[in-house]
Amino acid sequence: MSRIELDSVTKRFPDGTTAVRALDLRVGDGELLVLVGPSGCGKTTALRMIAGLEAVTSGTISIDGVVVNDVEPRHRDIAMVFQSYALYPHLSVYENMAFSLRYRGARKSEIQARVAEAARILELEPYLRRKPRELSGGQRQRVAMGRAIVRQPRAFLMDEPLSNLDAKLRVQMRAEIAQLQRSLGTTTVYVTHDQTEAMTLGTRVAVLSGGVLQQVAPPTELYRRPANLFVAGFIGSPPMNLIDARLERGDGGPLVVFGPHRLRVPPSVLAGHSGLDRYLGEPVVVGIRPEHLADAALAGAPPAGPAGGPAPGGPAAGESVIELPISLREELGSEVHLHATIGAAAHAGAAGDGDDVRSLATIVARADPRSRIAEGTIARLVVDAAELHFFDPATGASIRDG
Amino acid sequence: MIAAARSRSSRLAARRRRAGILLSLPAVALVVALLGVPIGQAVYYSMTIWNGITATWVGPSAYASTFTDPIFWRVLENNALLLLAVPFAIGIPLVIAALLNEHVRGWRFFRSVYFLPTAISWVVIGMFALRFFSATGVLNQVLAHFGLGPSATDMLAGETSALAALAITFVWSMIGTNTMIFLTGMATLDPTLIEAARVDGLSRWQIFFRVQLPLLTRFVQFAFVITVISAFSALFSLIFVMTGGGPGFGTTTLEFFVYQTGFQQVQFGTGALYGIILFVIMALVGLVQLRLIRPSDGEGW
Amino acid sequence: MAAHPGRRPLGPRLRRHVWAWALFAIMIVIAVVMLYPFWYMADNAFRSPGQFDRQSGHSLAGWSELFANLPVASQMLNSTLVCAAAIAIILVVSTSSGFAFAKLRFRGSGTVFLLVVSALMVPLQSIIIPEYVNLAKLGLTNSYAGAVLVYAALGTPFATFLMATYYRGISDELIEAAIIDGLGYERTFLRIALPLSLPAIATVTVLQFIQIWDDLLVGLLFLPPGQRTITAGLATLSAGRTTSIPALMAGSLISAVPAIVVYLIFQRHLVKGLTLGMGR
Repeated sequence: MSRIELDSVTKRFPDGTTAVRALDLRVGDGELLVLVGPSGCGKTTALRMIAGLEAVTSGTISIDGVVVNDVEPRHRDIAMVFQSYALYPHLSVYENMAFSLRYRGARKSEIQARVAEAARILELEPYLRRKPRELSGGQRQRVAMGRAIVRQPRAFLMDEPLSNLDAKLRVQMRAEIAQLQRSLGTTTVYVTHDQTEAMTLGTRVAVLSGGVLQQVAPPTELYRRPANLFVAGFIGSPPMNLIDARLERGDGGPLVVFGPHRLRVPPSVLAGHSGLDRYLGEPVVVGIRPEHLADAALAGAPPAGPAGGPAPGGPAAGESVIELPISLREELGSEVHLHATIGAAAHAGAAGDGDDVRSLATIVARADPRSRIAEGTIARLVVDAAELHFFDPATGASIRDG
Repeated sequence: MIAAARSRSSRLAARRRRAGILLSLPAVALVVALLGVPIGQAVYYSMTIWNGITATWVGPSAYASTFTDPIFWRVLENNALLLLAVPFAIGIPLVIAALLNEHVRGWRFFRSVYFLPTAISWVVIGMFALRFFSATGVLNQVLAHFGLGPSATDMLAGETSALAALAITFVWSMIGTNTMIFLTGMATLDPTLIEAARVDGLSRWQIFFRVQLPLLTRFVQFAFVITVISAFSALFSLIFVMTGGGPGFGTTTLEFFVYQTGFQQVQFGTGALYGIILFVIMALVGLVQLRLIRPSDGEGW
Repeated sequence: MAAHPGRRPLGPRLRRHVWAWALFAIMIVIAVVMLYPFWYMADNAFRSPGQFDRQSGHSLAGWSELFANLPVASQMLNSTLVCAAAIAIILVVSTSSGFAFAKLRFRGSGTVFLLVVSALMVPLQSIIIPEYVNLAKLGLTNSYAGAVLVYAALGTPFATFLMATYYRGISDELIEAAIIDGLGYERTFLRIALPLSLPAIATVTVLQFIQIWDDLLVGLLFLPPGQRTITAGLATLSAGRTTSIPALMAGSLISAVPAIVVYLIFQRHLVKGLTLGMGR
């Protein structure tokens, strides 16, 4: 059981690229911290530095308060689960799990007991004599876990351990890993590019982009209060709609204006985002989660408003409803995705890298499947204005308190 | 990548470097001591008169006198003539590989048979070839059978015909290796390409020449280099057994000339000189190989 | 080839049938050309010189003359010992250096690797004279040692190249897993990489066995006459003591048997060696 601390850790490769820039992270005892980000964001490099496989260019990594920069991997007492599992192909399942203990001089009875215990937990008992190539993908994944468990290390480091599994198995193993980690209580750093995996697994989630830490927070916090445009766009599927807009003074309070559309900002939002005052008359990026756009016909009569969820102090009549032409309707069974063209520029080029959905000139609404809005029609959508997000267009930072 | 070098080397990186040097050292030492040093010595001794014990310095003029020696040019001419066998040593195996690749019944058996020469020593092959080409040999018996008896001659007795006999034996010996190369190459081709060509209405021959052959370029180049190298530096045993370099200098190639000059006439200096010339020729072939193979795919060696 | 141009096309099935048989016939003809020398050797080894001239009748005279003129058994043993020792050296140096060049790259290792591999292009004849003088001065041409060293040096460049190519195919994560599991790089090589490279080791062994067993030049020059290999012995026999063709055919046959047996058993590995040798 232990704590891992990264203090201003930077990794620069000889070719000049900086993979990780001044990373500060604290992983608490027994915590499962997920490092998430797009490929090339530095998350794997960060993990490899914790493992000791990669040298640290500057800054310090400590485990339980001891700086381990110059400690070799084998003396760090950590176990790692690799993306390819890295099972020794010439050794049986039993030998794979026993391998490390054997070289660390554990007694034979001790090794046997620990492997048996791990095999029991992971339901690998029938396969102990098999070679890795005789196992299914899920079983191999379990052996890789088993190899880490038998060590009883201070920490588990997992590098995209589920990315080689098919979708169904991935969901199942995800649950198993979460359960296992909770019952063992071993400090774990888990790397993934899959934001769903990050959200479902992590005690806390650290979002990286371009080698820079964007935000560390529990999943709900990350979702509800993204620190910047990158996190807002990366977390959530379908991603948050981000629109270039202006904040203007209206009769009953500030209005968000984009193209021909106007949304009134409810007092409750203003209260929570005191920083917004400074943006009156200025451009802002407004973010609307797809689930906060609903079919007005189902949400009740337009004037009466709260839609998609409880909206305390509901918006005034008319201003929470926007009319948009629907270009595409996607049936998902439990919900319907409506793609609508907006008469304004979608926000392009946020603070991070501007290469994804944000630059599209459409927004997506996640609507009730009973909605009868058809493609090619003009739909009336209710915006849950209480759930609006605001970002500074220049810095990309979330606008909250003044 | 563990291979990436570090800007600031960690203790682990230092360990890896130490292990890398330690583990590669024996191979490097062996190659340097037994292949590297002698090539340097050979360069030096090529410019001396040397009997193995005392060496008298002659200087670069040793090369000048070699290049005016008609026997040397006669020997090089033999090498050049042997190169005429190379197209056959490539073309025939290419056809054989294409036939094998049709996978007719028993093709595995035939493959084993065709590859067999790769396992046989050139001494043994020469031993048979000697009887095959001799005046009372198999070749003349076969010719006589077809009513060509009067033309029967001992091929190994004439300078030109002996070289031809050597070349034929050489081509036969290369069939195994080159067929293996081409068959391996054909196995790497995507079978759906051939199916696509068939659907497009190409005939068997069109498929071979328009689809398969262009994709095998890399393998043809490889076989070409192997064959040229063999022609220049692997025929010693064959010559030793079949002709001893004769008649006259009829079948003396550069590599055999090194042996004759060095070990039969005990002129180590001149022998070393011929060896250096052989080395230069091989190095040129090697450079051609690098140029040929490199551009065709990035990961080449 | 089987189709008749100008005529009405045969039914596709018949045509395929004709093609298959024509192909089979061609294969048989080629097989005869490839096998004939062996049949000739086998046929004439069991004759006396007189029977050979008449090309009729069989006897063991050729064999008895062979054994009278050539210490076949001891020369086969010489070949075996020289092969075994040289291959052992080649395997030790090529597996360790191949692993180092593939997985433990250090500053300059790429250049060193290229240097080792380019030694492939050095023809034996180019260095044989200084090599001979060096080893003779060290007294190594009075025993197996000189020939073993030369064979080992000649085999190392290609074997190293082959092993490095093979090790490059092993995932880096596997090596790192062993490092995290607490092994040093040397033990990772011994416990993980080496067992995994058994197929490549087999390939190197087979290639080198055939190469060394079949070699004449080194065996002729670097071994004292009493310790010659069978191939060198056979070649000198043909150049001197006997002109008996049956005896020479018998010698050819028996000297070729071990290499043929190895070839037949490990054919697969030879082909793989070639594939690896081309850099995949």
